[in-house]
Amino acid sequence: MIDEAALKQVMGTVLGVPATAIGPDASQDTLKSWDSLKHMNLVLALEQSFGVQIPDADAADITSYALIKVVLEELKAAA
Amino acid sequence: MNTALGPDTARSPRDVLADPAASLAEVMAAVEAAEAERSSPVARIGVSAGATVDLLGLYLRRHALAAGVRVEVSQGNFDDPLGDIDRFAAEGVDCLLLAPFLDTLAPAFEARAAILSDEELNAREAELSARWRLALAKAAGFRTVFLCGLHRLTAPVAGGDRLDAVVERLNRALREEAAAHANVRWIDMAGLVADLGRRAAFDLRFYLRNAAPYSPALLDAWARQVTAVSRAWGTRFHKALVLDCDNTLWGGVLGEDLAGGIRLSPEGYPGNVFHRAQSEFQALRRQGVLLCLCSKNNPADVDAVLATHPDMVLRDADIIAREVSWDDKVAGLRRLAQTLNIGLDSLVFLDDSAFECEAVRAQLPEVTVFQVPASPPAYLDVIAAIKDLFLAGGASADRADKTEQYRQRAAALAEQARFETQEAYLASLGLTVTLARDDARRVARIAELSQKSNQFNLTTVRYSAGDIERLMQDPAAAVYSLEVADKFGSAGLTGVVVVRCEGGTAAVESLFMSCRVLGRGVEFAIWPAIFADAAARGCTRVRAEYRPTAKNAQAADFYDRLGLPLAGEADGVRTYETDIAAVAPPPSPWIKVMHD
Repeated sequence: MIDEAALKQVMGTVLGVPATAIGPDASQDTLKSWDSLKHMNLVLALEQSFGVQIPDADAADITSYALIKVVLEELKAAA
Repeated sequence: MNTALGPDTARSPRDVLADPAASLAEVMAAVEAAEAERSSPVARIGVSAGATVDLLGLYLRRHALAAGVRVEVSQGNFDDPLGDIDRFAAEGVDCLLLAPFLDTLAPAFEARAAILSDEELNAREAELSARWRLALAKAAGFRTVFLCGLHRLTAPVAGGDRLDAVVERLNRALREEAAAHANVRWIDMAGLVADLGRRAAFDLRFYLRNAAPYSPALLDAWARQVTAVSRAWGTRFHKALVLDCDNTLWGGVLGEDLAGGIRLSPEGYPGNVFHRAQSEFQALRRQGVLLCLCSKNNPADVDAVLATHPDMVLRDADIIAREVSWDDKVAGLRRLAQTLNIGLDSLVFLDDSAFECEAVRAQLPEVTVFQVPASPPAYLDVIAAIKDLFLAGGASADRADKTEQYRQRAAALAEQARFETQEAYLASLGLTVTLARDDARRVARIAELSQKSNQFNLTTVRYSAGDIERLMQDPAAAVYSLEVADKFGSAGLTGVVVVRCEGGTAAVESLFMSCRVLGRGVEFAIWPAIFADAAARGCTRVRAEYRPTAKNAQAADFYDRLGLPLAGEADGVRTYETDIAAVAPPPSPWIKVMHD
């Protein structure tokens, strides 16, 4: 399982909002600061903090908290 | 790996900033926290690059903080050095980092370099020189300008290929431009990439999607280098290197191994490491660094080695001052600073003893301390770091070796491309704008550009392909698309204007352009044709508006600059309206406007 508190912390840091602002429905549509540039930084930060390599196919698509969690859990399970 | 370690770990920001293995999220949090404790920045840096290098700003801030100072970083637009320099100057930015990117010189330039004719390559080089001559001349008022060299992104074909020669040639042209300016420092990007390794330096996932080619590791190394070359943004002036003797200048302990037993021979290991170290220190002295000794030894023993040991590189005359005694080193360093009449912060201290290093760090925090590593090969890395500290960005690094060579180069091409003004430069590009109205072949691309354009987008209406098709079919509306080309080729569809004719008024619903073509006057050149078209359709008035977003501030005064009078402003929305006949856009005679 993914440490959700750590995930929220990383997302909050990269997106420039408090971790508490990252709810289960957080997404590119609900968070104004989550633009394409920040998204790139977020993918890079998630890879480093969770020790995974996010495949190109997923990198562009994980634009919500829920999707990120699913992909990270899959990658961790496969590791 | 920092698995699941968020940025809320117990480590202090200072520890995180100094840790090369700290994760991106940790660095972001630490930079924010550390900056909050420091009030005024020592430098404001403007970054203007031909690639997306957003995170470079974070790492520049990181390395400044690690050196004890704060900097502010502004990001420019994509591949617009001339425009960026003007904007940065207006914003009070005092240092520039200019990073042209090889693959941006033309779309997929790396792939095409192999088939360029010599004439095309000559023209490319002349254009590059002209553009950067102009940019560096514009940047003459900035404190320091870091010009980053070009480098390849793709791996060379085994055995080498033509691209290496092309890169080398273009870099030589750039360095030649840099040599004319005392405030320009060269950053060897190819060297940084090689040092890290090509695979670790790039992340092609984000290159193809976001034009962001660099990995965080490369951006970090790049920022570290710029910070070193800047001498921590002008706050560090190291003058003297204070050397321990035993296990620093030679292997072994003089008091125990005696002069015959210390290891210093260039022919054997580990003596060759110390012999090389001494050669490096002597080279530093020749470049103006003051060498001192601070050693716990009998003075007469050290004097004898300096005078008579056959393998010594450093001799008595190389050492400007010495503290050889059994006294403590903190007191010795204080006396050396007094003797030389320089501040303690001008001293760099090198010693193999963890105890001595720690004592100096604790009692004289102004002194920069390096410890000789236990493993002799690692010593060479430490020496490289010391050299960086003294020489990075110094006059010797930038001038001595290159000036003559570059000045002697046959200058025919450079002369041909030497322009006095930006207008003359632009005129040399042979710019053409092809304006098309309701071109159905362009629907998909127009919709795509409307989705992507942020900075130069006056109303930020996002259109689907269906929206554009409907507008094109609507007799009261017109969708103008423009293609910009120059003597090197076409940049493709780069701008769109949507106009609706309503009761004799041409209302400009949208105007957006790719930032790549801004700064050349294209945004002004298209209007006479659009106004003429509107007039032909019975419009006598024009109305336009600017709607602010988080990203389009640079376009806020565009209609003012076009010459439209402001009719009203509410909540940041600026409305303009006037008679079409009364508008006189600024002329751009260097652009030829054609109709498709």
